[in-house]
Amino acid sequence: MILESVSEIAAIFGRWNTKLVRRPIFIFFSLIQPLVWFLLFTQAFSAIGSIPGFDLITGTSSYITFFTAAVIIQTVASSALQAGIGIVNDLDNGFMDKMKVAPINKSSILFGKVFSDAITIVVQVFIILVIGMLVGVKIATGLPGVVLILLLSALFGIAWSGISIFVALTTKNSETTLLIGLLTTFPLLFLSAAVMPLRLLPDWVQKVAEVNPFTYIAQAFQELIIRGYNWEIIGQAFLAIIIIGVITLAASTAMFRRTVS
Amino acid sequence: MDDIIVVKDLRKVYGKDVTAVDGISFSVRKGEIFGFLGPNGAGKSTTIKILTTLVSKTSGQVTIDDIDLEKNPKAVRRIIGYASQEVGVDDDLTARENLLLQCGFHHMPRDKARKKVEELLDTVGLKDAGNRRSGTFSGGMRKRLDLASSLVSDPLVLFLDEPTTGLDPQSRQSVWEYVRSLNRQGTTIFLTTQYMEEADRLADRLCIIDQGKIVAEGTPKDLKAKIGADIISLKFKDDDLAMCRMGAEAVRNLPGVKEVGDCEVGIASGSGLMIMAQNGAAIIPQVVRALDGAGVSIEQLSLSAPSLDEVFLKLTGKKLKVIETKVSTRGRFGGRGRRGP
Repeated sequence: MILESVSEIAAIFGRWNTKLVRRPIFIFFSLIQPLVWFLLFTQAFSAIGSIPGFDLITGTSSYITFFTAAVIIQTVASSALQAGIGIVNDLDNGFMDKMKVAPINKSSILFGKVFSDAITIVVQVFIILVIGMLVGVKIATGLPGVVLILLLSALFGIAWSGISIFVALTTKNSETTLLIGLLTTFPLLFLSAAVMPLRLLPDWVQKVAEVNPFTYIAQAFQELIIRGYNWEIIGQAFLAIIIIGVITLAASTAMFRRTVS
Repeated sequence: MDDIIVVKDLRKVYGKDVTAVDGISFSVRKGEIFGFLGPNGAGKSTTIKILTTLVSKTSGQVTIDDIDLEKNPKAVRRIIGYASQEVGVDDDLTARENLLLQCGFHHMPRDKARKKVEELLDTVGLKDAGNRRSGTFSGGMRKRLDLASSLVSDPLVLFLDEPTTGLDPQSRQSVWEYVRSLNRQGTTIFLTTQYMEEADRLADRLCIIDQGKIVAEGTPKDLKAKIGADIISLKFKDDDLAMCRMGAEAVRNLPGVKEVGDCEVGIASGSGLMIMAQNGAAIIPQVVRALDGAGVSIEQLSLSAPSLDEVFLKLTGKKLKVIETKVSTRGRFGGRGRRGP
């Protein structure tokens, strides 16, 4: 039973990876926007780094170094929020029926997809980190830190793609799926500690940021990039990801069972 | 012969009051090609989707190879193959990869899967195109690949939902040949179609379905015998409507003539005036004399045994779709065109 599930997930995972290799351009599509932010926004707003107290709170006076976490989050979120597009396409072109008629577990169809999305995200975040290093971002924790950042990104991506898949299954429409992705990422990003340290945010934004999962994930990235291993903060990030993941994946699995039965 | 599919009182109601399938019962025998014939919206697709576990039924009972569909859908999925109308192949993958993926869905060991894929590529004539992405294929090739992919597990029953809709005549022929050869090797085939010709050529037995109900069941020959008459069709020069009407009046009261068709319908569809008559060969001289007497000149006269078209028309009062002779990319929307040969 478990062995069967593993082989099903592997088959579907392989399918999506092959599709990605055939159309590598998709890796770069969702990178364009984060890169523009990374390379232009940080230049225009570089003075933020010299706000009194910024380096004391964050541990760096380089805004681009601080902002790297926000760019990673934006990359992961926008990439994960495209996960549903593939599902909508499968529903439209009859491939979903083909999978549903096969003697496989419905959840394998989902997990094969999100694991493959995680691979895309790892590649994308790696590209972001390399570009960051080229423009002068130093990662305090070195290579092990990079591995940890990639791992967190992959898990965050899997958890976040559940939202997109849920929307895709509910609306069966790719435009809506993309739009919801766009509409959630930006507000969540700006209402978190990703763009500005928590203590420099206005009061009401701080309150929102404290319950915003992006804050916890951003802080973990910031610690790993700027200071070092702060296991308490990294632990909080993992916890946030697990909570999101359980909710989104359970919801989309349930939705999936409903749509396909 | 044993029944492999048994359907009893199957009903499907969408929402509160849209009845797609209205209490149908039928059975399919092991090894036959069973056709489900009906116009768009008759309930064919819903039925095939229920039988393939894609849609849940509202009530009734279905067993496939003695497995209850509701109790054990997964066991049913192991023994069936399904090729949908939409052609479920992944265009980014090559033909070979598509088939290997299907083998993966059936948990086949690698070596066995590789062998199976080569064998299937060979049977559907895609061996040379095996490493090409299916997105570059023609409609006919994609359909054949889809058929092959529904066969990786050597299914006991193969379900084909409108297998040739949207295909050009040549591809249609090759799909028909392929379906027949599969059937000769022992696969039971359940197919839906809105084309009379397809049902007539392929099906050993068929059901005619209209508005969610089965209106007739039997072999194509039995169904045609139900009409109990031959068809004499007359064609007029320049498809002259007035001439046709005069002709219709002239023959209407001849002894042996059971029914005379409608001139508008006949001329619009290119089939001319249809006369149904008991023992048609015997009354041809009388028909010719009557037409001559009324001053009606005809261009062509032909005698034929009834086709399923007439059976359908008689049973439901509706005309079925005829096979398009023009090649259209989206056949589902194109109902125009002359009747095929």
